[in-house]
Amino acid sequence: MARWGMVIDLDKCTGCQSCSVACKAENNVPYGSPEEYEKRQTPFWHKLIAVSNGEYPTVKIDLIPMPCMHCDDAPCVTVCPAKATYHREDGIVIQDFRRCLGCKYCIVACPYGVRSFNYKEPDEEEYHRPDPPPERADRGIWPFPHRVHGVVEKCTFCFHRIDEALKEGKKVGEEVVPACAEACPAHAIYFGDLDDPDSQVSRLLASRQWMRLREEMGTSPKVFYLTK
Amino acid sequence: MSRRTFIKLSALAGATVAASRIFSHPALGSVVYSPELPDGEGVITEKWVPTSCLNCTTRCATRVRVVNGRAVKVTGNPLSRVSEGENCPRANVGLQVLYDPVRITTPLKRTNPTKGRGIDPGWTEISWEQALNEVGDKLKNLREKGQPERLLLLSGLNTVSAEDIIHRFADAYGTPNVVSADGLDNEADKAGEWMADGHYTQSAYDLERTNYILSFGASILESYKPLARSLRMWGKIRRERPIRAKVVVIDPRYSITALRADRWVPINPGTDGALALAIANVIISEGLYDADFIKNWTFGFDEYKKLAIDYYDPETVSAMTGIPAETIRQIAREFAGTRPAIAWRGRGATSWPNGSYTSYAIFCLNALVGSIDIPGGVTYQENPEYRLMPEFAEDDTASKGRAKPALDLRKTNLFPAAEVVTNQVADSILENKPYPVEMAMGFNSNFNMSAPGAGRWDEALGKVPCYVHAAPFISEMAEYADIFLPLTTFMEEWAYDHSPPGSGFAEARIKQPVVEPLYDTKSNIDIIFNIAGRLGGTVEQSFAGIGNGAEGYVKYRTAGLASWEKLLEQGVWVGPDYEYYKYDRIFHTPSGKFEFRSGNLEALLKEQGEEVNSLTGLPYYREVEFLGNNDDYPLLLSTYQPLLNVENGSQNYPWAQEMYLVMHGAGWTNFIEINRRTARSLQIKDGDTVWVESPFNKIKAKARVFEGIHPGLVSIASGQGHHAYGEWAKGIGVNPNEIIGVDYDRLSGQSALFNTRVRVYKA
Repeated sequence: MARWGMVIDLDKCTGCQSCSVACKAENNVPYGSPEEYEKRQTPFWHKLIAVSNGEYPTVKIDLIPMPCMHCDDAPCVTVCPAKATYHREDGIVIQDFRRCLGCKYCIVACPYGVRSFNYKEPDEEEYHRPDPPPERADRGIWPFPHRVHGVVEKCTFCFHRIDEALKEGKKVGEEVVPACAEACPAHAIYFGDLDDPDSQVSRLLASRQWMRLREEMGTSPKVFYLTK
Repeated sequence: MSRRTFIKLSALAGATVAASRIFSHPALGSVVYSPELPDGEGVITEKWVPTSCLNCTTRCATRVRVVNGRAVKVTGNPLSRVSEGENCPRANVGLQVLYDPVRITTPLKRTNPTKGRGIDPGWTEISWEQALNEVGDKLKNLREKGQPERLLLLSGLNTVSAEDIIHRFADAYGTPNVVSADGLDNEADKAGEWMADGHYTQSAYDLERTNYILSFGASILESYKPLARSLRMWGKIRRERPIRAKVVVIDPRYSITALRADRWVPINPGTDGALALAIANVIISEGLYDADFIKNWTFGFDEYKKLAIDYYDPETVSAMTGIPAETIRQIAREFAGTRPAIAWRGRGATSWPNGSYTSYAIFCLNALVGSIDIPGGVTYQENPEYRLMPEFAEDDTASKGRAKPALDLRKTNLFPAAEVVTNQVADSILENKPYPVEMAMGFNSNFNMSAPGAGRWDEALGKVPCYVHAAPFISEMAEYADIFLPLTTFMEEWAYDHSPPGSGFAEARIKQPVVEPLYDTKSNIDIIFNIAGRLGGTVEQSFAGIGNGAEGYVKYRTAGLASWEKLLEQGVWVGPDYEYYKYDRIFHTPSGKFEFRSGNLEALLKEQGEEVNSLTGLPYYREVEFLGNNDDYPLLLSTYQPLLNVENGSQNYPWAQEMYLVMHGAGWTNFIEINRRTARSLQIKDGDTVWVESPFNKIKAKARVFEGIHPGLVSIASGQGHHAYGEWAKGIGVNPNEIIGVDYDRLSGQSALFNTRVRVYKA
């Protein structure tokens, strides 16, 4: 069984946010309004954060693309009272909307702030994505495009793409990648099997300096960042 | 079939049939049927349609996925070599342009004769027949009166094909007045290159092969075009080659490009020209220049050398620019020592009075290190050779009209080298100079948002007796229309397109409808064909035999590139590989060489009877004159364009809005960005509401205290502050153009954008 992970090359990243917009389009993540944004209620499964250090003129700001880290030791999984969030065998941390109580413990527990609560009523008029893409129409736990009000949502590493690719015998990480990686014009996002020493992600991690976010939390995230 | 039924049926299909049987990955344009379901039910059609984007002038090749007649996803087209199959996020936002809920669905006519900002036009719906009849009659009258020059055509973000057809219409009709938005931000850049090598164009930088980029205020990763190419190549030059290119950014504001660069060098605003000359000073005095290239292919080097050596030593320039002399030396040595290197000029450096000279001074650095027409240097963009149209038919009225001076005063003593002086038009209308405007037609233009001194455009448009606006939505400019013609969006229409300079080699793209037009709308090409037909005579003749409508016209014009079927299937046509080292034919100058002393400029000025002295033709630096005095207005106002500023005149797109200012982690807004120390001295805290007041106007904005900005500067992101239709755009943020003064780079007529002084105080 593969252990899926993501490698983001910050030296190549241009901060363009193609990844974040592509995620919204792919996963039918609702857009918000100015009011929801103000109240921090806009759901994002993927967004860029800016980390600022130093003072003028030696200021250094970093832009960091933030999908879910799919931690091996995920605090969200530990705290969920309903077992609505759990690890798949391939290491992807999944949120089952049907089991989710909407208690938001996981949002509090997540050190990366990558979980969103869906405050929105399911909206028939969502104009950007009214139709389910065909290859996803038979998904059981994945109720596209019906969004469930009052549950927690998050990045899935686009597991629907992975599952489909495996079924069709395609190579995950080469032929098929998550939507954010596919959309990256700088080719800064890599995806693949961390346990396979020949995968591109493993080779990059072996050859470049990398870091993970908030390593001190002991979460063992599966998203790695390559630095300059 | 309703969406609900569709979902139900899909679920049913999934339960009864193995998913892989139904949903095999279909090829382009194929239809996938479920054999288990009754005819017509549960049918899922999916197709990928190759077309291209129009959310900025890059006009990237895209492929759009259409499921059951609905566009659901946009990706790049792998056959495009300009962006190597990639897009920027604005391509995805195209879906929200297509399905924008405030698109106008039918032609409108104004009932309220009073025009002004915020005044309800009292729209009433009319038929296309009536709308085009009325427009046609007005145009006919004006022409019959023998005053075709009093028609003004304004062009915003349009396809290349639409621009071509608008120009043809203007020629046949007999007006010299086609005004594009280029005069707002690109012209000084172009004039600088023209002074050196005779090409009145922006430069194509061979980003893919360069090893060193020295950016002077160029927002390579945000607003510089072709953007998707820059984004793709950025990844390439950083980590996909054996040599990692180094990038140094000179900019008073910490831009995204500066953030991703290896070094950010803040500079006193408006002094980039002096810095370029200081860098030349170091390169020349230390003998680091490309002696062969200079000897064989340049003209005027000795005068240029004298200018740089005598006046611009690093110590002197350090005092002007605020950059330590040692840093200037370091940059110069690196730039000259890392070949190939590019000196990249951007809006931040050139949108000033005398911006042409700054542009020229920066461009000359490329010649100093031999980076002209070499791999990894500056290249000369080739464009697709569309099939030529027959000469337009011209009658007496047209030739007289076209011979009249243009409203924007281009190529006069005021703006000697100008091709278009966008912002002058508002004043020309207000002052009836050189003649009154009887009728104006705007195609996707929105100058009363995008031009400095925006309020003047409100007045000017209010004064035009008949204004016709064509766009998919009601923009600020459309509110002044007497007749509004609703356009299709770029996913519903036929067009051909290409990018601004960047790739070197030529690439053409097709736009074809990915979905049927959603509403009763037309493309601007079809509208012009229709109107030309109504005008009869030579105007009608000029439009005969070139396709008779948008689809036919695009087919006609692209006929020489590839077969129509192939174009529709592939979406792009890529020209032959770029050929470097064309020194014997690329320099369009009196000397036939690259000129450090501009023969082109001297000849032009002499022709217009101006005095030319020994400095005139050299890329010298002159201190900027500011609008507003230092005592009352101690800060300088600048603007920048964030990537998610969609350039079509609207911003009513939630995806773009909620990620608008990535560096500030903020959406649905813009700020007045102010240095922390400056803010403290003004007792302004982050998030305070403040007045930003220039000598001309004031606006109320939210303060963002920021480390990445020169203490003497405040900055506002453009693209917000809309006050027309659309709940996701109206009333959000502020428009800096409301308070920026009107000033120009004299040679090119480009608006000076950054020389307005302001004061900032708590509201």
